[in-house]
Amino acid sequence: MSAHEPIDKVLAGSGDLDRIAGELEHLQDAFPRRINADPEKVEQGLARLVLTLVELLRQLMERQALRRMEGGALTDEQLDQLGETFMKLNQRMEELKAEFGLEDRDLNLDLGPLGNLL
Amino acid sequence: MSSDLRPDLRQQVTLLELVDRVLNKGVVLSGDITLSVADVDLVYIGLRVLLSSVATLEEQGMPVAIGDALR
Amino acid sequence: MIHVYGIVDELDSLPPVEGVDGAALERRRVDALELVVSEVPRDEVTQEAVLRHAQVVEALMSRSRAVLPAQFSRPFAGDEELVSAVTAKASDLELRLQRVRGCVELGLRVVAPAPDSGPEAESGAEYLRARLDEERRRSQLVAEVDEPLARLAQETAGGAAGSNVFERAYLVRDEDASTFLDTVRELQAAHPELSLACTGPWPPYSFGAEAAK
Repeated sequence: MSAHEPIDKVLAGSGDLDRIAGELEHLQDAFPRRINADPEKVEQGLARLVLTLVELLRQLMERQALRRMEGGALTDEQLDQLGETFMKLNQRMEELKAEFGLEDRDLNLDLGPLGNLL
Repeated sequence: MSSDLRPDLRQQVTLLELVDRVLNKGVVLSGDITLSVADVDLVYIGLRVLLSSVATLEEQGMPVAIGDALR
Repeated sequence: MIHVYGIVDELDSLPPVEGVDGAALERRRVDALELVVSEVPRDEVTQEAVLRHAQVVEALMSRSRAVLPAQFSRPFAGDEELVSAVTAKASDLELRLQRVRGCVELGLRVVAPAPDSGPEAESGAEYLRARLDEERRRSQLVAEVDEPLARLAQETAGGAAGSNVFERAYLVRDEDASTFLDTVRELQAAHPELSLACTGPWPPYSFGAEAAK
């Protein structure tokens, strides 16, 4: 296998491979990665970090709310209040992501052993 | 829509999957703690740059707390 | 600086390939573990270097009983740092090396059609109910796609995903690989609405750490 020969490791594919490729596109931004002192890149990198953490917390909290909702532990009023708060947070996240030019797949969490949290 | 008819697409997916594995998976042998969150490697960014970036965000009036974001 | 490609078990001989930047591959023993490394002049990540790294790892697979691919990361400043880092993880690495022997990694990536985003939720409660539906859809997708495949695997890894995206790596015994692929094809046929890609066989990149289930 030479680095210059086309490699094909797709064993089975269906539907639209374009969509799969789309999920992985962001990897092309990885080069060069290590020695990157460009302040704009660093700032966007930081924004991505911050938004990823906020997104993680948002999802965890939302999930908690869903569990309590399923368990019937919330009054209608609480449901509405919680739901509205999450709606607002979600909306704000969309705005922030747009401002920094980030897609959902950019907020990619590698949680290691906690990988299944989301 | 058979993917057999798009060898270039298969190669693209292969390449991207390969890059994903080499850069993000594999055993991390480095003794440093490498936080791989959002592809941002904190060990390389360094604490000082991190702090100055936070200051910049705050100057620009960006909310940096969930509470701020809800107002 | 020292760049590491991976840890090998019973490597016959170094493959006739060059390492990153054209450097020669070298074998390096640290206690009971054997690594394959090469000298690199600088800490840089280029597409060419990544491809070369992958190529070396592949070549090692065919010449060894087992390979634990190393992540392409910061090269080691020197021997001392390398030895110290490897020694710290030695017992885990030995265990992992045994676990991956005779296995390959098969990757699966699935994209489900995005749910019709109906009208904006009018109330908080409606929003939460819609979220619950999304969650149930996702669990179902995971159950239908992952479960039959996980049963054929020794271990699985990965899984961070959105509500309509699914990604997983499976550690599969060589002899189970074709059954695994048959199962993937059955899933393809049963779910024409899904975009799916099964890739491999890969060296076990996703199974080097004991966190894999």
